[in-house]
Amino acid sequence: MDVVDLARTQFAVTGSLHFLFVVLTLGLAPLVAIMHTRYAIGGNPLHERMTRFWGQIYVINYALGIVTGLVMEFQFGLSWSGLSHYAGDVFGAPLAMETLLAFFLESTFLGLWIFGWHRLPRALHVACIWLVTLTAYASALFIMVANSFLQNPAGSAEVGGRLVLRDFGALFTNPTLVFALPHVLSAGLWAGGFVVMGASAYHLFRRTPEREFFIRSLRIGVLTAFVGSLFTVGFGYAQFGPVGSVQPDKFHGAVPGTALGLMITIGQLVQFAVMFVLTPLLIRDVLARSRWLHPLLMVMTPLPFVAAIAGWIVREVGRQPWLVYGKLSVADALTPGLTRADVTASFAGFAGVLGLLALVDYVLIARAVRRGPGRVVLGAADLPVTAEPAPAHAL
Amino acid sequence: MDIFWFLTFAVLLAGYFALEGFDIGLGVLLPVLGRSPAGRDRLVGAMAPFVLANEVWLVALAGVLFGAFPVLEGQALSRLYPLVVALLLAWIVRDAGLWFRRRADGAAWRLVWDGALCAGSAGLALTWGAILVAVARGLPDSPLDAPAVAGGVALLALLAWHGRTFAAWRLQDGPRGSGRALLLSACAAAAPAVLVIAAATGHMLGNAAPDPTLSVLSVMVVPVAPILVGAQVWVWRTFSRGALPTFF
Repeated sequence: MDVVDLARTQFAVTGSLHFLFVVLTLGLAPLVAIMHTRYAIGGNPLHERMTRFWGQIYVINYALGIVTGLVMEFQFGLSWSGLSHYAGDVFGAPLAMETLLAFFLESTFLGLWIFGWHRLPRALHVACIWLVTLTAYASALFIMVANSFLQNPAGSAEVGGRLVLRDFGALFTNPTLVFALPHVLSAGLWAGGFVVMGASAYHLFRRTPEREFFIRSLRIGVLTAFVGSLFTVGFGYAQFGPVGSVQPDKFHGAVPGTALGLMITIGQLVQFAVMFVLTPLLIRDVLARSRWLHPLLMVMTPLPFVAAIAGWIVREVGRQPWLVYGKLSVADALTPGLTRADVTASFAGFAGVLGLLALVDYVLIARAVRRGPGRVVLGAADLPVTAEPAPAHAL
Repeated sequence: MDIFWFLTFAVLLAGYFALEGFDIGLGVLLPVLGRSPAGRDRLVGAMAPFVLANEVWLVALAGVLFGAFPVLEGQALSRLYPLVVALLLAWIVRDAGLWFRRRADGAAWRLVWDGALCAGSAGLALTWGAILVAVARGLPDSPLDAPAVAGGVALLALLAWHGRTFAAWRLQDGPRGSGRALLLSACAAAAPAVLVIAAATGHMLGNAAPDPTLSVLSVMVVPVAPILVGAQVWVWRTFSRGALPTFF
């Protein structure tokens, strides 16, 4: 592999890891917000338990979303300084907005939500999780605006060998954005719904004491997946027109072609299964009572994640060799003077550390699911600020 | 317009060191100030509700660098390549320590992630010191040398002091920690970075993005700025006093 291939692979690996966690964040955030709202309005303790249990899964998953995202943000400058030189005056704006208008608030409000139990008034506490959801969606919007600009550099013109911003609004009406954004957000709901469905199936299959909790959760999971999968598939097919008009050769390569086939196969089969089998079986809780189906539901849980990564491979590999389509090639965007040793070392560091942490995080999510709603730490009792009578610490 | 975005950049940089500085410092001092697991839980509980709101200042800083000074972003990050990679790895390890330390039972598990928290924090302080020295010297070709190490150690000591002041203030023990002492250590923690960036003012203004880009950024960001500030103030009003949350 030469330097360009190494740097590309590094971006692909860290980006895929990032999206595996982000897609679940996008799907679980609104579900947790709805559960928390129902608890705040009705005061039903079951809704509080659901908020804390699924909220804890959401938060454990979120940790990896943050740390993988950090690497993504800095990687542009590290490996692809040619991009910021050539297109930074346009491409940098949506990324700056993502950090200031979306992630800054998302992280601040998430801190308030996680640590605000027993402290914030109930209505304000619920407002925090809704603000987290809203800013997570805003984040997805800005990132997709930036990515769509790379797919089709709308709203810009080349002046003196660099791109300048001509029409900011055109970045938001980019044909490679308008159907892709709802496609991605719906895929998030699908993934979130499937995690809730799979975890509920596990508890129902094991016949744990939390039967009512997980019958209700199974219903939420399947219905969320129903809505998510319907819109994911719909907005997926809707993209063929606009993509064909700006990137006619997108699916011709072996990799994007295969990934497209995989995504459509998974998407179509699973969407039919959700629509024609799982959703109707919710009537009279047939699905919850059909224990033989539960292992199948657990096995299906990773499928939206596989499809989501395949989707990104189609979108990103399909525009090669361009970084900014038709304007700047990936090879020309590489940081000048970057050596194989540089990239190899950072790739090993990032992939090694993030890969290990991703594994640990999935084990922790599985563990939190297994332990069930009876042993949730999110929202647990606080610690007194005064040190205990026999303090072993010295301050 | 370029002056406005330069000042925004400077404020974010100062805010990052004043706020995230005490998280880093407290992480470094974790084994010193918290000799027992319960003691460490208490220290982490003191900073935990602030960390998410503090570390995000650096994310915003990098965003402003990319949006308003894109050429410098490419230049600075690629010239500082090994230091930025080390900074990111340290940041990841520190965050993993915080998020994971209470997620499973067992003394060994807790010890591993407390170690990650401490080592990551130390890595952050050392690499930041080296980065500030490198920027002050105009991004030399090999940014890893004796002055860089000295800068790293000096910043480590400074942030450790800041972290200790924060702990004394929030946990209300030891030599009576006052808000004024915390304000002083916050200013001191921000000072080196502010000096370095002040020296680079001319270079930064000369490499700002063109006005159409900066105008769009201003129109989008300025109306939301009160919410950004309000959210931060809300964090401080909520978590400055009272019992310590236990999630991290």
